[in-house]
Amino acid sequence: MTNLAKAKTYKSEVKPIWCPGCGDFAVLSALTKAFAFLDLAQQDLAVISGIGCSSRLPAYLSSYGFHGIHGRALPIASGLKLARPELTVIASGGDGDGFSIGGNHFLHACRRNLDITYIVMDNEVYGMTKGQASPTTQPDWASSKLTPHGTGVRPFQPAAIALASGASFIARGFSGDPNGMTKLIIAAIQHPGFSFIQVLSPCPTFRPEQKLWKHQVEPFPHEPTDDPVKAATHLYTDDGMSSGLIFQSNYPVWSQPDVAEASIKQFEEEFIV
Amino acid sequence: MIKPESIEDLETFLALAYLLEIESSDRYSELADNMKVHNDPEVEKLFRKLSEYSGKHASEIIEHAEGMVLPNVASWDFEWQSPEGPETTAFDFIEYQITPERVLELALHNEIRGHEFYANIAKKSPSPEIRKLAAEFSDEESEHVKLLEQWIAEMAQNKASTRDDLDPPNMPE
Amino acid sequence: MSTHTCTHSIAFTGSGGSGAITVGNMLLQQAAKNSLYGIMRRSVGPQIRGGESAAMLRFSAHPVSCPDDRFDLLIAFDWLNAERFALEIPLDSNSLVISDPANGDVPEVITQTGATIIDVPLKAMAKEISGGRVNMIGVGLLTALMDMPADTAVDIITSTFSKKGEEAVKSSLDCFHAGYKYQLQAKLSCPKLIASNPGTRWDISGNEAAALGALQGGVRFVAAYPITPATEVLEWLSPRLEKIGGSLMQAEDELASINMVVGASFGGVTSMTATSGPGLSLMSEGIGLAVASEIPLVVVNVTRGGPSTGIPTKSEQSDLNIALYGLHGDAPHLVLAPQNITDCIATTRWAVQLTEALQTPAIVLTDQFLGQSRCITPVPESPGLPTSREVAKSGNDKVYERYVITESGISPIAVPGTAGCSYTADGLEHKTSGQPSSIATDHHDQLDKRQRKLTQFEFGDNWADIKGEGQLAIITWGSSTAAVLEAAQRLELTGLSVKVISIRLLAPAQTDALEAELINIDQALIVEQSHSEQFYHYLRAHYTLPKDVSVYAEPGPLAITPGDITNAVQQLRGQAS
Repeated sequence: MTNLAKAKTYKSEVKPIWCPGCGDFAVLSALTKAFAFLDLAQQDLAVISGIGCSSRLPAYLSSYGFHGIHGRALPIASGLKLARPELTVIASGGDGDGFSIGGNHFLHACRRNLDITYIVMDNEVYGMTKGQASPTTQPDWASSKLTPHGTGVRPFQPAAIALASGASFIARGFSGDPNGMTKLIIAAIQHPGFSFIQVLSPCPTFRPEQKLWKHQVEPFPHEPTDDPVKAATHLYTDDGMSSGLIFQSNYPVWSQPDVAEASIKQFEEEFIV
Repeated sequence: MIKPESIEDLETFLALAYLLEIESSDRYSELADNMKVHNDPEVEKLFRKLSEYSGKHASEIIEHAEGMVLPNVASWDFEWQSPEGPETTAFDFIEYQITPERVLELALHNEIRGHEFYANIAKKSPSPEIRKLAAEFSDEESEHVKLLEQWIAEMAQNKASTRDDLDPPNMPE
Repeated sequence: MSTHTCTHSIAFTGSGGSGAITVGNMLLQQAAKNSLYGIMRRSVGPQIRGGESAAMLRFSAHPVSCPDDRFDLLIAFDWLNAERFALEIPLDSNSLVISDPANGDVPEVITQTGATIIDVPLKAMAKEISGGRVNMIGVGLLTALMDMPADTAVDIITSTFSKKGEEAVKSSLDCFHAGYKYQLQAKLSCPKLIASNPGTRWDISGNEAAALGALQGGVRFVAAYPITPATEVLEWLSPRLEKIGGSLMQAEDELASINMVVGASFGGVTSMTATSGPGLSLMSEGIGLAVASEIPLVVVNVTRGGPSTGIPTKSEQSDLNIALYGLHGDAPHLVLAPQNITDCIATTRWAVQLTEALQTPAIVLTDQFLGQSRCITPVPESPGLPTSREVAKSGNDKVYERYVITESGISPIAVPGTAGCSYTADGLEHKTSGQPSSIATDHHDQLDKRQRKLTQFEFGDNWADIKGEGQLAIITWGSSTAAVLEAAQRLELTGLSVKVISIRLLAPAQTDALEAELINIDQALIVEQSHSEQFYHYLRAHYTLPKDVSVYAEPGPLAITPGDITNAVQQLRGQAS
């Protein structure tokens, strides 16, 4: 079976409700191609999401999934990975879900370095709730009724924050480059530890100007590095409209200490006076 | 990353040609599904037709490859001139309430790219066998281009479809 | 249990590291080694070190689970800030107070109780012994007062201080003997406690008991966020879980904790967390997710004084409302409450079994009093093997429907890793397949299913503990139970028989079962530790009560005592006649 044919088997019969032109389609496509390339058994694969347009993703795959609550994809995914370390666990969601309400969990997931891949579909807007600013929205975007003068707040820098929080794999993808994304996803899943991919994924309905991204997004102008200092410089001198692998290093992956076997009976005996 | 014009063996070339068509067909089918979800039966039908069309071309490639064992090539191993295969409609070219005229325009664009793709290989390939086959495929693609131009002309004779959604966007969750 | 037996209620107070708590722990163990029973509470000031602390103990020849109305003896190592504990250590003219003259005058709040003050020069005695500590003298004094043999104390002291070296052991023993030999011109008002059934005893706290019950029930994953007074549940579990193939993850907050538990349970591993009121508030959304997506989990809530930050180190029964009603939407789930420290084991275990069987989250309400008190208890019964959830198997021809409608309401749950039954769990309302749906029939079907799981289930006799017969019923729950039972015993001696009903399974309400118990009851007294009468409102909402209902509801931080309840009953009877 060709890779492409195998990729189709990872799709469920549920058709995405995303608007025509949504960048998330490319992410779904890239994911299935990556799964096919890695030959992952469907029953050993779980995709966990929060709330938002992009969080609808798990239902469109035929693997196990959890469409959880807003901002909590990472803890649900973490709990699953801790309980079942042999499964391949993907966490996914949007920029609001991941960097606003889910911000705290993002920081700690980067630190904790469980072997999970986290894909954030960043369209710099809250699409599901009809177009409010998100943490990655520019401060002067004034098209939301909630912030009619723009947020006036400088945007969240996902890749830089991931780096500062100790993430061991940081990449940026672009839905206009699905093949590039597929390669990043493959590398992310293969990477032992927490892999973060921020995908620039335009919203044609609430951010129609993002159609211009395909003319603006360029390859990341630096080679991937394992030196956080270099990576920090690269990130701070980059305008964010670039895709590629930014940082990858082998930090210790969180794992259970291997301790001697005991029984509950022994614990009960500890109470004896 | 392999440049398609530097492929040396026939099997890889045919595998790539097959990939090109089947990816195109799968994509049209996905876009048809998307149109169905958004309740646009006219455009859905058009995408399904285009999907069948590319699917037929894919089968034709397989006929050329009879008796051969084709390698399982990955789309991302090749340096396309476009983000995906030349006849694959990028997701971001689609929009809500896309007109059938626009769809055909995109399909024509795909076929033109397909034609150029093979023409390029026909000129530059190191293998004479591949150059020959690529020239044949290039000619076939020209036929596809003509066909689409014809469809576009036919459609232009009918009144252009108007699209208008008077309702504001929804908040599903 | 026989008629009202004499018990000894002793308190030690001290500050600045005087070691009152250590004394309490040692005496508890000593009682156990002498085949007695006891319960110990602590009260502390806000400082982490050096603050005021009180160890409050009650000893008995029979299992004892609540404080008495008063204390027989207070041994004060100093009087610094002792007024802090005055309300918690009620004394009267029959009480003894041992005071060290070196500490100056006994505070008025103590002298005005009428207690007999006895001077014992503890500090002077300690000074005479190299490395001597006043608290060890206290151990000796009390051992003699309670007429317990010295050798068990010697064993305990030796093993407690062996880690600190020979000198520490020697000075402690010397202090003990000094106290033991001291000729105290006083006796406790009750005679010596005679052990009734020798045998092995456990020394356990409610938090440890809940943790043990969870392990026995099959919990193997815990996500933890520390909060007073629940942290010990998590600390007990952490090193032990990994020894039996499980794990504990310290999360970044309670939101992460509850969602990690959801994820792990989704993965097929029985999971839980422990928290207190503020944490439970944060976890509400996550618990609701578990209700909607039908994922088993247990939250042990060790209730403290509320609302908001409240009184973290004190007990109250004021989280009933949030446990029962704190989830948005119609979200039926399980709420259980252990009645004493030992019951924390069985009830938490039962909660784990129920959540796995019913695929509905369970909240176990203990409280600070149960959680952080230690008691001596007979060895509890051995549990059976843990039960497990009904899982979906692969190899079925039919397409797997995670939320298929069944008579019991329970649908087999697929565990990731099982081929052929992949599904996406969802907090959104869904069809039987799990796909999101806003269609009326799907919502009604799933609501019915989630409710039917609980209403169709046979919970058996453990829904409540019923004791005694009479025309007056005292209805209570959780840690108030012990005081109610003791009050009932005392009332029995005065010729009044009452029926005590303590509800263990608070949700789903066992309406028929309670109403059957109330058939011959004319009068009911509701007892609870809540200012706004949460339990009373719960009973009114879900059950038919007798016409004549009175409520004894007091908030924390003071424990409800048996005397409080007998007074309440006598007032009732006074009104009746």
